[in-house]
Amino acid sequence: MITRIVVRGYRLFMDFELEPNAGTNIVVGDNESGKSSLLEAISLALTGRINGRWAQDELNPYWFNVAAVETYFASLDSGSPLPPPEILIELYLTNNDDSLQYLLGVHNSRQDKVPGVKMHVAPNPDYAEEFADYMADAGRPAILPTEWYSVDWRQFSDERLTRRPKELGVSVIDSRTVRSTAGIDYHTREMLKDFIEPKESAAVAVAHRKARHIISTETLKSVNERIAEKGDALHDKPIGLHMDQSASASWEQSIVPQVADVPFAMAGQGQQAAIKVALAMNRSADTTAYALIEEPENHLSHTRLTKLVDRIEELAGDRQVFLTTHSSFVLNRLGLDKLVLLHRGTRVHLGALPADTVRYFKRLSGYDTLRLVLAERVVMVEGPSDEMVFERAFRDKHGKVPMALGVDVISMAGVSLKRGMQLCSALKRHAAAIRDNDGKEPEHWRMPIGELLENGKREIFIGEVADGPTLEPQFAKVNNDDDLRQLFDITDGDKATVDWMKAHKTDWALTLDEHPEVTVSYPGYISDAVDFVS
Amino acid sequence: MTNTATLAVAGARKTQSIVDACAGGDPTTRRLVVTYTLSGQLDLEERLRAACPPASLPEVCGWYAFLLRHWVRPFLPLMYSGKRLGGLNFDGLPRRNSKGIVIASGEERFLDGDSRAYKRFLSKLALDVADAADGTVITRLQRMYDEIYVDEIQDMTGYDLDILERLLGSTSVIRMVGDLRQSVFSTNAQDPRHKKYRGLGMLDWFEVQKKAQRLEVHYASTTWRSVQAVATFSDSIFDPALKFQATESAQEKSSEHDGVFALAPEHAAAYIEHYQPFRLRQTIATALPQGITATNFGISKGQTHDRVLIFTTKPMRDFLTKGTRLTGESACGLYVGVTRAIHSVAFVMPEPDASYLTVWTPTG
Repeated sequence: MITRIVVRGYRLFMDFELEPNAGTNIVVGDNESGKSSLLEAISLALTGRINGRWAQDELNPYWFNVAAVETYFASLDSGSPLPPPEILIELYLTNNDDSLQYLLGVHNSRQDKVPGVKMHVAPNPDYAEEFADYMADAGRPAILPTEWYSVDWRQFSDERLTRRPKELGVSVIDSRTVRSTAGIDYHTREMLKDFIEPKESAAVAVAHRKARHIISTETLKSVNERIAEKGDALHDKPIGLHMDQSASASWEQSIVPQVADVPFAMAGQGQQAAIKVALAMNRSADTTAYALIEEPENHLSHTRLTKLVDRIEELAGDRQVFLTTHSSFVLNRLGLDKLVLLHRGTRVHLGALPADTVRYFKRLSGYDTLRLVLAERVVMVEGPSDEMVFERAFRDKHGKVPMALGVDVISMAGVSLKRGMQLCSALKRHAAAIRDNDGKEPEHWRMPIGELLENGKREIFIGEVADGPTLEPQFAKVNNDDDLRQLFDITDGDKATVDWMKAHKTDWALTLDEHPEVTVSYPGYISDAVDFVS
Repeated sequence: MTNTATLAVAGARKTQSIVDACAGGDPTTRRLVVTYTLSGQLDLEERLRAACPPASLPEVCGWYAFLLRHWVRPFLPLMYSGKRLGGLNFDGLPRRNSKGIVIASGEERFLDGDSRAYKRFLSKLALDVADAADGTVITRLQRMYDEIYVDEIQDMTGYDLDILERLLGSTSVIRMVGDLRQSVFSTNAQDPRHKKYRGLGMLDWFEVQKKAQRLEVHYASTTWRSVQAVATFSDSIFDPALKFQATESAQEKSSEHDGVFALAPEHAAAYIEHYQPFRLRQTIATALPQGITATNFGISKGQTHDRVLIFTTKPMRDFLTKGTRLTGESACGLYVGVTRAIHSVAFVMPEPDASYLTVWTPTG
């Protein structure tokens, strides 16, 4: 099991450290947060490969952290040039497995005595001169000459690795659009290989070779005879057509899985993802201790996704799973406590979440938890009318919608404010909650969540009991009655403004929203909330 | 299971006993076999591959590789901060004074400019690093291997013995095999440590380990190579006070010329012509008759020949004529030479009649 991941200088990661969960890790973040790069880094250090090809062959300048590269090139023109950028990826493993002891040593950045593997990309000392020449060239672009770099893949015992340690098996499942010419990616092919015994493999190879030979000598015979007749005209030596018998024509390349008589590559992409997860599950946990899954929700209908998530949960039983997602559903179902939140190459630390809150969101799996998780600042409101009034109040003050200033106003639609606040607290998120007093003193509502609040960071805003139990009386109280009746176009003279508003809960809020030219006042607790998140 | 040291006579199939233990043992047992000589390692690997099912195939590594790979490399930075092991410096030596004595201390005593470990101080470096790693060298090894076999134990000297002592203290079962009477090489020839345990003195080291209940000592005194007459003669080379058990021969073949003989230098050519013996001498310092070549005892280790012809030194002649004991090292050398033979050993000496051996002459 991986207990610590260190990534330095790789893509978005300047100096990244993560102590992953033992079972599932749900990696969540905005675009450009480093989700995919994290999975890539893990895969690189575990297998020495990226997308099935050796790291050394794939190494390119874009692997390096942009800021580190810029700083380096800038320093070259200064009096004190910096050493060239390097990449370091380290995976620290648990020290409870005897079969991993050979990986144990202190050759890691923490000098921990644990088993582990690392990948170090640095200028190759053998090419020091070429590297220096390149850098000294006045016309060179500000791009690293990765040709003079080498990839050093080692155990923590400082022994070089040439192939993936057999104990560190990994299944990589990438359901983003993957297309290789063979219609099946390297990782899927690796998983399929598990099914084929060496003996069968040899038998298939022989049969395959024989079939090719028969095509060459029999089926193509007439063709070759015809060519031979015109042979002299073509070339001074005979020319013929034969099936490719070279190593590159191995049968493995021409075998593809079929799903219900449809070739894998022709199957729907959602189905492909489901099949890959099924294949990964089929591998024994002995051979695959790790599973890396990218955005499993892609191309899947909701019902299929439900099934897939169940399977992933099962898969995680005795493996360590790293999964990226953009889906609140996946996050809620697999458990909010498994969340690994990334933000521009750094980890946002998640504090402890009460187990019952994790269960609560698992059941409410349709709730858009990711909005809470990814927002810079959150305002939690009870329903749509509160949302619209707050937004309008915010616009009045700033001239912009809240989202434009990084404030996400989220209608809790029945989800308890306390659960939401627990999540915000675990994420140390800036959050405001707005609620009705429902005829009780604000303190009555404040007290149960008091420990989740933090001065200036998380607060709950509630109107005074004297000003009314809900938003409508609170709003009516601070505005001129005639103005409101005119704005809302209330014609029924028998009906009090507040009663009409209560009967038309979202209508009045919508009208308010649609008439920004009409000046209104807001209840104190709403204005306070606007000030708080500004 | 207890640690054992099996002290065998020459031709007792020591190495075969390791092969048998690996081939016949529980395939789930994880084994490491450490050998001293490179030729020994290659030979052993070949025999293991032939005898063991793939699942039972143990790891084989040389003594220096063992120290580098499992003791020094993983933990070197704990001893010398920021250092990574470059490899082994086999022949070089650290800084010396005008008398040739190594005066370098600290890091430069153990590592050269390319961070390669000097062979001469490797086992001391291994111990230093193990101390710095605070026991992890041993815990790592014992978690990797259930059984560790050490071949050619007689060649271990100096700090190597401290390494062995630490292995004996691990939870892995240590199986050592060797023949003290063949201690003609040593891993640390210049190492002054544990001088008293050199060569035959190692018997005392075994006693110490036995008393500390770290080790059981077994003897294997059946030779599958030499006929009884040669075996009995080989026993006579050593002082009975050392209490080696008498060698018993299990060799069933015999020839018309079995036993130990003496012959005059002028008859050497005729003897060679007649019997085609393998020719041996103690060292390059031993003079040879014109036109005859011979192999040094040390190099002949591990070999088997039908017949052996030995060109004698003065101490050997004193031994053969007056029974004067050879010094430890010379006795071991002669023992190696004699025990190469299946059927016969002949000594070339100016006065063969003075010896108590049967004298050979061309006419019979």
